[in-house]
Amino acid sequence: MKKTPLYDRHVALGARMVDYAGWNMPVQYAGIKEEIAAVRNETGIFDVSHMGEIRVSGQGAGEFLNWLLTRRVTGKKPDQITYAILSAADGGTVDDLLVYTMGEEDYILVVNAANKDKDLVHIRESLDSYQAAFKDRLSAIVIVDESDLYGQVAVQGPGSLDCMLEVAGRLGLDKGQQEELKGLKRFHEMIVELEGEDRSMIISRTGYTGENGYELYIPASKTATFWDIFIGAGVEPCGLGARDTLRLEAGMPLYGHEMSPDINALEGGMSFFVDLDHEFQGMVMKDKVTRRQLALVSETKSIPREGYEVHSGGKQIGLITSGTFSPTLDKGIAFALVDLDTPEVEEVEVLVRKKLQPFTVVRPPFVGK
Amino acid sequence: MEELKFSKTHEWVKVEGDRVTVGLTDFAQKELGDIVYAEPEPVGTYVEVEEIIGTVESVKAASDLFAPVSGEIVEANEEIGDEPEMINQAPWDAWFVKIRMADPSELDALLDKDAYDAFCEEEGA
Repeated sequence: MKKTPLYDRHVALGARMVDYAGWNMPVQYAGIKEEIAAVRNETGIFDVSHMGEIRVSGQGAGEFLNWLLTRRVTGKKPDQITYAILSAADGGTVDDLLVYTMGEEDYILVVNAANKDKDLVHIRESLDSYQAAFKDRLSAIVIVDESDLYGQVAVQGPGSLDCMLEVAGRLGLDKGQQEELKGLKRFHEMIVELEGEDRSMIISRTGYTGENGYELYIPASKTATFWDIFIGAGVEPCGLGARDTLRLEAGMPLYGHEMSPDINALEGGMSFFVDLDHEFQGMVMKDKVTRRQLALVSETKSIPREGYEVHSGGKQIGLITSGTFSPTLDKGIAFALVDLDTPEVEEVEVLVRKKLQPFTVVRPPFVGK
Repeated sequence: MEELKFSKTHEWVKVEGDRVTVGLTDFAQKELGDIVYAEPEPVGTYVEVEEIIGTVESVKAASDLFAPVSGEIVEANEEIGDEPEMINQAPWDAWFVKIRMADPSELDALLDKDAYDAFCEEEGA
């Protein structure tokens, strides 16, 4: 099993470690409820070093990514980040990712740990298809796996900016950069050069919790030192268990649940992140929509779980794709994938241990505006 | 705690005459984490060994409790449904059901504390 640069820190903090996508990762420290409350009310920090970083650069890289992904990455400001779907030629989902613009024709794709290897294969094969299909477009594109060069932490919660500013000097940010951090907009990034490191740190105002927050891509050799600075400042260490429930409360999808090779982005509730007015590989998904997503909240003490049946009008209409107890709402919440022709209803039923239980259909997010 | 017996499915069993009281072990509650739902099977249910006698859910996972012996459920602790966190705080007090045993010789198949601790160590490793 692979270890992140923070493995020793997790063990020392008494975290419960699990195998996640081939990585030995902390699933919880103090307890999921306490960690979730810290992120909703104060500040928590997550080790997300397992995420993959794939650099795509060289002449024509931007145009290639426009074709590869469900959204355009060109024509944006140089510090802007784009969330997009990596779809297969048949429209199915390969991964969801963030695209960081690093410079002219220079991009970093941040991908799910479990998908990184297949993403690399898919992107390289897609480049061959692209170059065969668009012989008139000049391209000299290089695809490099840079995952081992970076550790990554996510600092999340309403107190995250204050916390970042408190420790900014020790992270190597000068006065000017601290001002830049204060003004950093959502889905934007800044670059901080670190003394004695070839590679710069990237700080982005992004996250997977629905709260304000920052993600820091730190050269691997400095990751543990920076983690210690945050823990020393009283930030609560949070595990993958809290992360999964926080993302579902925030109405965010998880690959392998809301999207998969078999569930395309339009079915998985991601139409906002699919620009159908540009040509991209996987565009055929628009003709293959047979299901749609519902967001459900429990009307009883029942907790929905992945794979539970969803019923309406006396018949099964679909399945739960992600379900959890939401400590923030004190209720069960879930995403479900149901037949496209399901009539609009305000209530459905979920089969929980052989009994149909009532659930209200809501507009996500479950928590927050 | 010495007089308790244990099952490999992580129930503790306290024997009182022809009845047993059954709950979830400390090891199991720690494995589950924050428990947010608990429901014993209703009084009057007749269960065979390893049939479901209750359900418990943490934030992330659902899990069942299984009958360590066969017999009729004669009492069910409804309080744990209202305060499932009791199971984290005091697993030895937060019992699920009491069963009137049909065949007390089934108790012989259960583990004593030392054997159960060794079993957990193996499972946790």
